Amino acid sequence: MLSMMAAQGLGIGVLQASTEALTSLQKEGAVFTDSMSIPSPGEVFAALNRSNRPNWATLVATATAPTTTDRQQMALAVGVLAANGYIAVEAQDGQQVKNIGKEINSLAKSLGVSQSLLGRGNSLMEFADHNEWDSLADELEATENEIKNTMVDQKDHDLVILTSVAAWLRGIEVASGVVLADEGLKGASALRQSELASHLAAQIHSLPGHTSEQPLVVAVGKTMDSIASLLNEQNIPAEKERINLQKILEDTGVLVGMILSSSDPTKAPGAANTTPSVTHSGKTP
Amino acid sequence: MRISPFVLLILGCFSSGLLTATAASPPKPSTNQYSNVVSALKTLRETEQAPSIEARRIALETANAFTNEGFRVRDGEWSPWISKNAPVFLQVTLFAGNRYWFVAATSVPGTKLRVSVYSAAGKPIKGEQWQDPQGKDCSRAAAGVAPEQSGEYIVGVEMLDAPGTSPVGSCLVYAYQ
Repeated sequence: MLSMMAAQGLGIGVLQASTEALTSLQKEGAVFTDSMSIPSPGEVFAALNRSNRPNWATLVATATAPTTTDRQQMALAVGVLAANGYIAVEAQDGQQVKNIGKEINSLAKSLGVSQSLLGRGNSLMEFADHNEWDSLADELEATENEIKNTMVDQKDHDLVILTSVAAWLRGIEVASGVVLADEGLKGASALRQSELASHLAAQIHSLPGHTSEQPLVVAVGKTMDSIASLLNEQNIPAEKERINLQKILEDTGVLVGMILSSSDPTKAPGAANTTPSVTHSGKTP
Repeated sequence: MRISPFVLLILGCFSSGLLTATAASPPKPSTNQYSNVVSALKTLRETEQAPSIEARRIALETANAFTNEGFRVRDGEWSPWISKNAPVFLQVTLFAGNRYWFVAATSVPGTKLRVSVYSAAGKPIKGEQWQDPQGKDCSRAAAGVAPEQSGEYIVGVEMLDAPGTSPVGSCLVYAYQ
């Protein structure tokens, strides 16, 4: 099937695949990049569409960016909203995609990274009006990446990591909810991302002090550690897997709520369940 | 009007004084001195971003061929410099049930590329291989896989053959369905 498409799309030209295994040096030298190594929520949702056929309309969340001046929280919110945009695209809810686009633009303005987004907003509106769902998904990803690129240009690389992690967390929250809704935990393989979870957790912990000590970022780090540990438990009985997924769903749900909260995120309802030891100073007692 | 990074680089060299030493030397620099500057600029040109930008365009153009089949091209790329027999590797997370095409390209004609996908343990994954049948103005190769298990994988880009010995700017993109 794949070769047929290659033949149709690109012309025929077959090459012998590599048959040699990688050396440990080559494996260790494999590069990790934000834009290629972290799957987009769309990829996770594509896998879920095959295994579970979720009712996306029931998963669409209202688009509300937090009212905050905290740059870390804003960067996290961009990630969550971008993932919500993918859900709205899957649900084919054009109005919600438009709303999310507006909120992301508003956050980008507050972060001072909106200059690269000129024209993107109009494209989102146009694609939504014409029900061009694939183009909308592409545009959402492009918008998120434009924001990240501008963050990099402005030496705000820490914020890029937060945006990527938040989008991933929201994707995991949705995926775990969808899998848990199935009695046989169909689709659980889409959540087998323990290496990625560990890598992202390490990235959060390696952020410089002024960022990593921010209470919300501390909460993100703790949740990432917990998720990485839970996802790392493989070949376990179904009941244990269900308990683990339930914990992931609850923790990510609380964290996403904190990210989108306009009041002090660490005091948001349920925050205590996820981050019992987080204080305002970001220190653990 | 967009000024090429190469022009900016030369202007930057002059404004920073990097090249004024040559200009301030004897009024008529020797051929040797000129060739040194030309050689230095050639090296700078080879290491600037332009080849990667062109490689990116070619890779995206190639990957877009899959959109007619329902694939979605990821808005991201990896642009490593590659040398003959010195493969480079990238970590990716793939999902069972999805299908993927990884496309690598360079703007240097005559190079022969190969893209391979490996498990996290480093074992080659069976899939489809494709290579540019013409390769007059560029070189392209692709690997298609449909992983049976979700998780971490490694994508390798290698240059099997090249017209010269200098590293070449390349670009890897991917499409999924």
